[in-house]
Order: sequence, then C-alpha cells, then structure tokens
Amino acid sequence: MYSFFAALSKLMAWLGGAMLTALVLLVCASVLGREVNGILHADWMVDLAPGLASWLLDLGVGPVNGDFELVEAGIAFSIFAFLPLCQLTGGHAAVDVFTSYFSDRVNRGLRLVTDIVFAAVMVLIAWQLWLGLLSKKSSGQTTFLLEMPVWWAYALSLTGAVVAALVACYIAAMRLRETVSGTVILPVDLGADH
Amino acid sequence: MSDLAIGITSFPALLLLIFLRVPIGLAMFLAGLVGLVLVTGDTTIPFARLKSETFTTFSSYSLSIIPMFLLMGHFATLGGMSQALFKAAEGFLGHRKGGVAMAAIGACAGFGAICGSSLATAATMSRVALPELRRYGYAGGFSTATLAAGGTLGILIPPSIVLVIYAILTEQNIAKLFLAAFIPGILAALGYVAVISIYVRLYPGSAGTRPRVGWGERMRGVLDVWPVLIVFALVVGGIYAGWFTPTEGAAVGALGTGVIAWVNGGLSWATLGESFMVTARSTAMIFFIVLGAAFYNGFLALTQVPQEIALWVVDQGLSPLLVLALILVFYLLLGCLMDSLSMILLTIPIFWPVMQGLDFGFVSLVDLQSARLSDLIQSGAQIAPDLLAQAQAALAQGVELTRDQVSEIGLRGATEGALSRVNTEQVAIWFGILVLIVVEVGLITPPVGMNLFIINTMDRTTPMADTYRAVLFFVASDLFRVVLLVLFPVITLALIPW
Repeated sequence: MYSFFAALSKLMAWLGGAMLTALVLLVCASVLGREVNGILHADWMVDLAPGLASWLLDLGVGPVNGDFELVEAGIAFSIFAFLPLCQLTGGHAAVDVFTSYFSDRVNRGLRLVTDIVFAAVMVLIAWQLWLGLLSKKSSGQTTFLLEMPVWWAYALSLTGAVVAALVACYIAAMRLRETVSGTVILPVDLGADH
Repeated sequence: MSDLAIGITSFPALLLLIFLRVPIGLAMFLAGLVGLVLVTGDTTIPFARLKSETFTTFSSYSLSIIPMFLLMGHFATLGGMSQALFKAAEGFLGHRKGGVAMAAIGACAGFGAICGSSLATAATMSRVALPELRRYGYAGGFSTATLAAGGTLGILIPPSIVLVIYAILTEQNIAKLFLAAFIPGILAALGYVAVISIYVRLYPGSAGTRPRVGWGERMRGVLDVWPVLIVFALVVGGIYAGWFTPTEGAAVGALGTGVIAWVNGGLSWATLGESFMVTARSTAMIFFIVLGAAFYNGFLALTQVPQEIALWVVDQGLSPLLVLALILVFYLLLGCLMDSLSMILLTIPIFWPVMQGLDFGFVSLVDLQSARLSDLIQSGAQIAPDLLAQAQAALAQGVELTRDQVSEIGLRGATEGALSRVNTEQVAIWFGILVLIVVEVGLITPPVGMNLFIINTMDRTTPMADTYRAVLFFVASDLFRVVLLVLFPVITLALIPW
C-alpha cells in the first residue's frame, strides 16, 4: 500500500516537474522571441537586411502570445502535483523544539490528531477546488488573451489536489491503525530533512 | 467577542499550534479558517474563498519564480558548479591561515549568486568542501560552522527566495531588493572571512596548512567558473537591466544551468527525476506555507488587527529606531525556533504596516527636488536662467522650493506624495534586507538552527556541541553587521535609484 502511494506521489511530482520544465522553455522562447523581434525592428537591421527582417517577422518571430496565462495555469498544476510527495514524505515545515520534551505517547497522540486534521483540510481543499471548477465552468470564464476556459486549469490542478487528499487520508488512516494496534506501519522517519 | 479581539486571540492560538508541531502552513490555515468562521458567523464565506483562493495562490506568475529558482539551484549542483567554485577559490586562498575555510565561504558566496536558498547552498557546498576541510586538518566543529554560516549567503546574495516573498508581501520591486542585498551580502562574506582569520589565530590547532598552488592552476580554476558568472550576470543583471521580469530571469537561469549541467554530463534522466523530486518537496512545502499565510492574513486584514497595531505603535511615540530594534530582536528570538520563510509570511503583514507608519526621513523634500531638478536639466529642458539660478540657490541652502517655483520650472515627481512614496520604498528595502539578515541568523543559531542540522547530518563524526561553539563567532559577525546596517542605511540603499 505504501509503495503504491509512494509511486503515485513520485509520478505526480514527475509530471509537475515536466510541466515546470515546459514552462521554463516556454518563457525562454518568449523572451528570445521578444528580443529577436526587437532587433528585427531596430533601424540598423531594417537598413541592413530588410528582406530577412520582414520575412522573419512574417513568420511570427516575437513573444509567445499569452505566455503569462500559460505560466499561471501550468504552475498551478505543478504545485498541486508536488503536494502529494511532500505530504507522503512529511516534508512540511514544523517546529519540533518543544515537542522533543514530551513523552513518546504524547507525541504519537499529537501526530495522530495533526495527521487527521491535515487529511480533513486536504479533502476540504480538493472539494472546494472542485466546486470552484464547477462555478468557473458554468460561468464560462476564459483567459484574457488565449480565451482558454479557466476551468481547464482548475481541472488540471484538481488531479494533484485529489491525489494529495488521498495521500493525506492514507497517512491519517495508517496513523490510526498504528495507534489502535500498537504496531508501526509507516516508515518512522518519513524522509524528513532534519 | 469583537472582530478585533478574535484577531488578537488568534496569535497565541496559532503559536500554540505551531509549538505543538502542527506544520506551520497547516497551523496558519486552520487559524485563518476558524477565525473567519468566528468573524463571519458560518462557513459560507471562508469556504467560498477557498473555492478560488487555493488556485489563485498557486497560479501566481510572480511566485512561479520560486520553483524555477529551486530547479536552477539543483541544476547548478548537477553541473558541477559547486566544485568549480570551490576549486577556484581554494587556488587563491587555500594556502593562507584558515584558507580552505575562507575558500569555502567564497564558494558559498558564488553559489549563492545562482541559488536562492540557504539550506540548498549549505547542503551543496558541504558535500564539496567538508571532505577537503577535513583532509587538510581543519577541526570538525570549525568546518561545519563555517559551512553553516556560508550557507546563509545563499539567501543573502541575490537571487533569494525569501526576498521574493518579502517583495510580494510588501508590494515592492524585486529587482531593487535584489540590488540592495548585494553590498550587505558581500559584507557578510567578508565578515565571515574575518571571523575565520581571527578564529584560526585564537585556536591555531583548528586549521591545518595546504601548499600554495601555482598561477597556472589558479587561472585554470578561474576558467572553470565562467558558466557561473554568465548565469549570474544574465539572471540578476538581466532582471536589473529590465531585459526581463524576475520570473523570466529565473526561467532563463534554469535553462542556462540545465544546459551547462547537460554539457558537463551531470544531467541524465535519473538526475533529472531526482531534481524534480527535490524541487517538488521544497516547492510544495513553501507553497503550503504561502497558502496558509494567505488565508490567515486575509482573516487578519478583515479584523483590522494589523492597522490597529500600527496605529497603536505610532501613538506610543517611540523613536522609529527603537521600534525597529525591538522588531529585529523579536526576529532573532523567533528565528531560533522557526524557519525564515514562515517567519516572514507570518510577521511581515503585521510589521510592515508598523514600519510604514514610522518616519525615518531618509529623503527630504529638498533632496527630492534637487534630484528631480538635475534630472530635468540633464534631459535638456528649457528653464529660464534666472528661475533656475534662484531655485538652485534655495536648494543649496536647504530651502524647499515653493509651489509656484515648482510649477514655473515644470518640475515633476517632486510633490509631497512622491516624497512619501520614495521614503516608503527606501524604508521597505532597508527593512527587508535587515529582516533577511536577522532571520538568517536564526538558521545558524544554536540550538535549533536548520543549517547546523543539515550539515551535521553530513559529518556524523563531529559532535553538535563543537559546531555550536564555533558557530557563535559567525553569529557575532552577523549581529555586528546588523548593527552596522541599522546605523548606516546608506550601505543598503546606496545602489538604489529614486
């Protein structure tokens, strides 16, 4: 079960990373297009090679249309897709200075409650995102330049949010089972950095 | 309970949650959610906000700079830039007393120029420099402390992720903040080098010697560093020169370091996947805190707490410097417990209105009028000679121009409103850099500084206590620098045009 969720989280992180890389390339292409476009419009270029300049401009050399909107839509997917891995490996920042003075029992209890609340919050986030998607879909709102329906980006992000909610529920359920049965199911150190 | 009371009660509640090891992002999210429910009466409004707020927080163009910088830092490591930097610095400094440690600081500063995170810089440079330090007989605690301190340069020297968050919270120009961090960052590196120099004289046994290397080898080392220089010049220089937005700069940097890593043979499918995993974990952690903070700060703003606190502080009539000093001390204390990003997200919405309400008087109306007048003269505008002479004489004596004079000369951007904008920006930049430094001190302050932990996990043979003892010297240099920057704001603001 754990290895299933680990594989799923890694897959999501990979997809998020691929999207991030795609956005990096998109932004770079846009920057390059804009700079080259500027050079082609420059006086010396028009004097030097008017044919080449206008040919390239006709080909559409310039900034990528709507790059801003694509980055906004894409980066949201990346971040939602990154959440499951962080959730599964306990990567969220926390302060453990004071809890180190508590007994093991108290700490386990605290962790159980925290993980259950966390799962509830992740489910709430995914559920509200779904409702947000529905309202964006019914309102037919589109982005400004590309006129891309806004709900597409919501739908993409929802996949990450749902997987993150599933992972959070799995962690909470396993903590509960650990507490009831007194066994250790999840790796003790969930890959935390410190 | 009034809204204000609910808002104020939320502080201790939030701190309690955080100290019970509830993840910081979750704690802020819960405090914001419960607070909103209490203030608005039911769950309708908070849930309605959630429908779009999670998505809009994550789909921010300006925040997309963060995962891009993280990816860039990881690619830089894969491209062997950390080794190249360390080798180059070692060639020049290695043979001096404490020279290998100084080289580690220099390499950290260089790596900080292409990496926006303190923990990543500390971890990356430790992998490269720790074995070398130990090989040349440097004491364990001294070595780990040096790298922990060097890691903080990752966040001080632009690009810096914490500074991006600060810029967004205070609605300031990221390029100007990056520029302002530059001199303090260099000062930090120099301060650490001075500390090393003093330390090895106090404890001669703590550092071994290393033979001098010839100039040929030194120059080869320098040549290997060129990719770092190009990427830094392109990213930070390009952002500042206005070639591209900070996000575009980050994308260009990520692509650049990625290509270098690929050319150097460091980038394969496996390491690319590894980069994605590392970036994913850090990004998700940061954005969950950003989300929690957005939710919590939305609730706080509704209760008017930040404005009330700012008004209250101004009413006390304390001197602005005293208020600033109290805030910085507060950060130092909190920094011993919490990571820098969480602290900034948690406190800046409260402290920034306070700072805005204080008058540090960096720029006077006379200064502003003089500056705008010389801009006007330089632009070649026609000004009646007698009017100009009169105005210049008045300004030279420190007398403000009258409204009539201003309109007759045609002086623009020299009104009271413009003055307050300029001063607000100056305070924002100065305060931002100071906060950046004090929260970084937290990263190397015993007993819980995160950099110390990261490095100690890499060198299990060194007892934590040894690291603690040695790092205090570096903390002292940090504190000295903070005092210096508070007393002389010009160090931070010198490069910032207004």
